[in-house]
Amino acid sequence: MQQLILGLAFILLTATYAVSGHAADNKPLHLGLAGEPATLDPHRYNLRIEETVLADLFLGLTTFSSEGKLMPGAALKWETSEDGLTWTFHLDPNARWSDGQPLTAHDFVYAFRRLLDPKTAASLAYFMYPLRNAEAIATGKLPPDQLGVRAANNLILELILGLPYPHLPERLLYPTAYPVPKHVIDKVGDAWVKPEHWISNGAYTLRDWKPQQYLQLARNLHFKPAPAAPTVSYHTTANTQNAYNRYRAGDLDSIAGFPTGDLAAIRTERAAELRLAPQLSMMYLVFNTRSAPFNDMRVREALSIVVEPTTLTDKVMKSGDLAAASFVPPMVSNYAHPAFPHAGQLMPHRQRRARALLTAAGFSSATPLKVTLRYAAGTDAKRANLAIAAFWQQIGVRVELHQSELRVHYGDLRQGNFQVAQAGWLGESNPEHYLGLLHGRSGDTNYGAFADKSVDTLIDAARKQKDIPERHRLLAQAEAAAMKSYPVMPLYSLTTRRLVRTDLRGWHDNSRDAHPARFLVR
Amino acid sequence: MINRLGALGVTFLVIVTLIFGLLRLAPGGPFDGERALPPEIEANLRAAYHLDEPLPQQYVRWLVNLLQGDLGPSFSQKDFSVNELIAEGLPVSLLVGGLALVIALITGVIAGTLAAQRPGGGVDGIIMSLVNLGLAIPGIIAAPVAVLVFAILLQWFPAGGIGSAAHYVLPSIAAALPYSAAIARLWRGAVVESLQEGHVLTARSKGLSEWRVLWRHVFPIASLPLVSYLGPLAAGLLTGTVVVETVFELPGIGRYFVQAALNRDYTLVMGVAVVYAAMILAFNFIVDITYRQIDPRMRLES
Repeated sequence: MQQLILGLAFILLTATYAVSGHAADNKPLHLGLAGEPATLDPHRYNLRIEETVLADLFLGLTTFSSEGKLMPGAALKWETSEDGLTWTFHLDPNARWSDGQPLTAHDFVYAFRRLLDPKTAASLAYFMYPLRNAEAIATGKLPPDQLGVRAANNLILELILGLPYPHLPERLLYPTAYPVPKHVIDKVGDAWVKPEHWISNGAYTLRDWKPQQYLQLARNLHFKPAPAAPTVSYHTTANTQNAYNRYRAGDLDSIAGFPTGDLAAIRTERAAELRLAPQLSMMYLVFNTRSAPFNDMRVREALSIVVEPTTLTDKVMKSGDLAAASFVPPMVSNYAHPAFPHAGQLMPHRQRRARALLTAAGFSSATPLKVTLRYAAGTDAKRANLAIAAFWQQIGVRVELHQSELRVHYGDLRQGNFQVAQAGWLGESNPEHYLGLLHGRSGDTNYGAFADKSVDTLIDAARKQKDIPERHRLLAQAEAAAMKSYPVMPLYSLTTRRLVRTDLRGWHDNSRDAHPARFLVR
Repeated sequence: MINRLGALGVTFLVIVTLIFGLLRLAPGGPFDGERALPPEIEANLRAAYHLDEPLPQQYVRWLVNLLQGDLGPSFSQKDFSVNELIAEGLPVSLLVGGLALVIALITGVIAGTLAAQRPGGGVDGIIMSLVNLGLAIPGIIAAPVAVLVFAILLQWFPAGGIGSAAHYVLPSIAAALPYSAAIARLWRGAVVESLQEGHVLTARSKGLSEWRVLWRHVFPIASLPLVSYLGPLAAGLLTGTVVVETVFELPGIGRYFVQAALNRDYTLVMGVAVVYAAMILAFNFIVDITYRQIDPRMRLES
């Protein structure tokens, strides 16, 4: 009898084990996060590190695959109207919030209106400006219910645009397009982001958040298919040195960066753990075209053609970053990248031309060109800018370097308080996302106030196209036209430098640096 | 006594007002960052945090809230109030700072006493060399070296974070190190000086044991300079040290001093400043009182 009971217990035990599935024996994940998230409200977020955590907590209409490619998320499929203005999304009927409530099209209508509502004060609300009336709502000229978003029924969501925007599915990857739980926000207000009230629709939910320590996520039991790791802890690290220390001490399974100086040693000692991946981004110098000397195109050209980006990346920084050959990063696909007018010319030839240009612009060895190059604090930045100054000194330019902390730097850029300055842009796989920075009416982000009619006309024409090939053809023309005037000097695309333990499976390097935790197994 | 408390209140008000003003004079704002915002969006943000109001109005709003114990929302950590952040961080800073203070006091006093026994002797020479070394090596070097040796190479202690008692060993010692040296030097000088005072010679001539002489006649006098040094030191250590908290990834409030200032997180800087100012004033007050207890002359004067 006793044996029978024991046997039954054994069968019961194995049965429970089988039902709970493969997930039961997977280890919790401990991942490094390069800084403290400012918020987990997807509509109020602003930082790259927040995107990382939010992608585990929420599922948008579209989402990243384990390889960083776009794939269907809460919407199983979608179609576009003939004019490219109406997008119809068919939601997954089995999608649930983490409290078991069904996820409906009305949740998305509420979320998009909340994002654009001026009261939300969403810093990245403009990501969804493609929606009809979005800008007017964000500026308080129209009420939020005038937004181009509609629920045809519980499972069919329509997004109505002001102008065609074929890159919409990609734009929906950002947290600004995530749904938020109306039924919780109605009840507890802004406190909905606290762990005790937390409800979300992603693979994980927020269990705990200790500032300057960690965020702990636990499986959302209503998410299918169930993610492998039972919990994911994001440990916030104050800087790359600390992250590297804790990785070496065995506390963390993966870190998002280490001191650049350790790269050479890591290449030999931890080659299997090192993950370098070019990132969709562009670091560049911007000339202030508002005033002399950089309102003179000859000066901009002279300074641009004598800098060799490959020297910066390969000899000076040695950080694995990718030298630029044009303003739109090379990882942007389906796009014919135009080359610089000076591409292929040898350096002595370029330097002769640059000296001639400077002479023509009225500078000589008696009255040399004097410029101040501004950059944001950081050791890599300093080395790169010292090297740029050296390139310029070779053609007789006197360079003064000016370093300021990040916020002061970008504050100065926006106010046009600079001559030539370093800037950076992390973007999408969409050329418009970069070329928009050179549009005469793009406002603050066109730091140098560059304005060229032919460039604007081409970008405006592209923005009316509903098909990607035609759109990109016009944008490539716009980039070629802009590069003739040298408004900016593209330098390099960043490389993400990660360390990933070899027993962490499911990790695929990609240019979006997207590694959703639900695909990771340890 | 009432006057004294009133003066403390005024000092406190002057300090926080100065910081409020200085903070707003700094260039750059809380919403400047790598992703520049369209002007209309920034206007929405400024309105949400009342930054669109005139400065005096913002100051009054902040002060009224402070009197109600509300330090406001954090700009850089939007999901937390400044009160919540300080409530999370202060206990950690207090614990590490308290441990460091105890370590610094015990080691400093013992080393100082030993060195003072024979000024210029061998023991004195060794201890004072160590003291100078301790004073010369800044925390920004000592702390990372401690991590490298004891956490990464030997793996005796964790490299950072909190959780177990072992997490506190390296940070407390690293925070205590320079102050332990400073206390040893201060204490040695004070003991040497008071050993030569007349009443000590008298006590010795009465045949009291050396230990009794030290305890009853030397230490009370020698402790006067130490007590006045301890006031600001305690306030500084207990509110967290930036270097130690950053290197050891401790979730204390010391890190906020720098981070919040760099982020132009006005409310968080003010919140931490309030705590720090209150601590400094409180400890100076305690030092005053202690002084009176130790030194009878002060009691007579007042």
